[in-house]
Amino acid sequence: MELFLTGWLTSLPAFAMPLLLAAVGLILSERAGVLNMGAEGYMAMGAMTGAVVTLTAGNPWIGVGAAILAGAALAGLFAIATVVFRADQILAGLATVALGGGITAVIGRPYLHKTFTGLPRLDPGALADLPLVGGLLFRQDLLAYLGLALVLLLWWGLRATRTGLKLRAVGEDPATADVAGVDVQLYQAGAVLACGALCGLAGAYLSIVSSNVWVEGMVNGRGWIALALVIFARWNPARAILGAVIFGGADAALPRLLALGAQVPTYLLSTLPYLLTILVLVLAALGGRRKDAEPRSLGLAYIRQDRR
Amino acid sequence: MAKLDRVRMAGFLAALPLIGGMTLQRRQAAGPGLAMLSFLGGLAVGIFIGAVTLVAAGVPADDLLDELVVQVFLTSDGLAQTVVLATPLLLAGLSSAVASRIRFWNIGIEGQLWMGAIAAAGVALFHIGPEPLRLPLMMLAACIAGACWIALPLLLKLRLGVSEIVLTLMLSNVAYLIMQHLLFGAWQDPSGSFPISPRFDDAATLPGLGWGDVHAGILIALIAGLALWVLMERTRAGFHANAIGLNPVAARAAGIPVAATVVLFVLLSGALSGLAGGVIVAGTEHRLTQFIGINMTFSGIVIAFLARFNALATIVAALAIAGIYNAGGTLKVFYSVSDGVVVLVEGAVLMCVLIGQFFSAYRIEFARRPATVEDAEGEAA
Repeated sequence: MELFLTGWLTSLPAFAMPLLLAAVGLILSERAGVLNMGAEGYMAMGAMTGAVVTLTAGNPWIGVGAAILAGAALAGLFAIATVVFRADQILAGLATVALGGGITAVIGRPYLHKTFTGLPRLDPGALADLPLVGGLLFRQDLLAYLGLALVLLLWWGLRATRTGLKLRAVGEDPATADVAGVDVQLYQAGAVLACGALCGLAGAYLSIVSSNVWVEGMVNGRGWIALALVIFARWNPARAILGAVIFGGADAALPRLLALGAQVPTYLLSTLPYLLTILVLVLAALGGRRKDAEPRSLGLAYIRQDRR
Repeated sequence: MAKLDRVRMAGFLAALPLIGGMTLQRRQAAGPGLAMLSFLGGLAVGIFIGAVTLVAAGVPADDLLDELVVQVFLTSDGLAQTVVLATPLLLAGLSSAVASRIRFWNIGIEGQLWMGAIAAAGVALFHIGPEPLRLPLMMLAACIAGACWIALPLLLKLRLGVSEIVLTLMLSNVAYLIMQHLLFGAWQDPSGSFPISPRFDDAATLPGLGWGDVHAGILIALIAGLALWVLMERTRAGFHANAIGLNPVAARAAGIPVAATVVLFVLLSGALSGLAGGVIVAGTEHRLTQFIGINMTFSGIVIAFLARFNALATIVAALAIAGIYNAGGTLKVFYSVSDGVVVLVEGAVLMCVLIGQFFSAYRIEFARRPATVEDAEGEAA
């Protein structure tokens, strides 16, 4: 039992980090009022680009950088469509997911199933051998620590800095922010790009850290789960950490339960993360505090002439 | 100060249509000419980008017209295959159009399609009902299963205000896994090791129409299209649905039965997706297989959107998208282009048409007075 728990805890960040990074990216975008459904597409771009660049350049860190840029590039297209041309954010998001899936399938085709060496794990020796939490705390790759630090930084930045305040103002009431001198379009475009970059990083985590290979469809709905996580987190990056641990934990437990040889129906058990997502959304709605937390102008196109 | 100006310049660049003296005004409604022009313009750019993508992916430019138009629409065999592919796409497109009318985002067409396919396959495999009634029972079961699969998101949206987007999508994944559970378990064809069900009896397969692989499913889909056109354009319920789509609050205030209309249209949407699944297993596959629902959600949404949510136009849009699918199959075999290219082309077309709408939704005005200069100076001060 202890062995099972230790293994589960050690593998938890590999499952939780992609969800967390993507969810925090989405929080930035939605806090600026842009409903961003493209996460699945940005993550696919990140995962594919990360793998392809690592394979060709031979250095996983370059791969991570390229993945971030690739996610941001696709988000740039989404930003042009929604922030500049005020396209319907839901439909543009769906188109973005399709573009991400299509581009990665076409470009990544020659690199399918080619394995590579990913990021090294820390190995501080004795510390990592602590019972239960040793592996969780000390035997992760560097990106896990950096990612968590980045999330905390963004949490702080969103609540305590002037930029964070302006970004939130844009999502709540763009007209008021506009009158106060905040460049609404600049902040929205910036938030969308940041979202793409974070989702690209999340995708890189999937290919470069967790599996060291690129497979078509490897994002496998995580972008959508991240979207649900945002609602669970009430648009707060700190609460997203909790959500990512719950979802990642459920995800991490599945392969371990199967490896134990437990007589369970594999496919039905695999529905758990999705059912959990639904349950969490229902509980969040029953809690009744969702509407308070949701940015008031989420999903609405703003033009200056709307000002009242 | 200079640095601040540079930051502000970047802001203006991000808001390109607002640059300099331009301002945006919402149009109440674009005239038919302009609406058509911006739609066709977006469509043309989208198709152009799609074509460039195909060439970049390795299809010779000379063959493009042949593969995308001649082979899939202008030869008898090619057109027959396009019609076969269009059958479930038309039903999926109708499903999306019906739900979109009342602004319900059905992103779970695939899930309802899987459940419909499973229900129809269940009726066929367990020989439920007398043989002459087998096919109608299968189609009915597919409709009911699809409607049931959308009922939960509908209930949660109406009762608790939970977003249907994530719910329908999550249920799609659940349905897919249930289908896998059956195909790798109880329903697997015992005569092989593939994840497919046994072949249906003849009584459970839709008859062919003697033209390629085209089967009676296309008639079902066309009848559904006509019936929905009547429902949406010629009945009281359709009028109510339009009002709800435009403004649910005003619709309720005007005494329109909002909840009943929403329930009717959403359940119809689920039933149509389920029927698509039933038609594929009974007409094309003759058994339950793994790949029948792939990309149906997005394709359905693209078809409905390109058809402007009109049931008759959906028929044309479904044929066009089916042509791309048909060509995609050939390109995959002969030029080893990933079949992801089909989704890529769909995505590019949708994105371009969405952007094109900007020009019919807003009027760009060039300021005649130097007000914006004063504004800019005021801001800079």
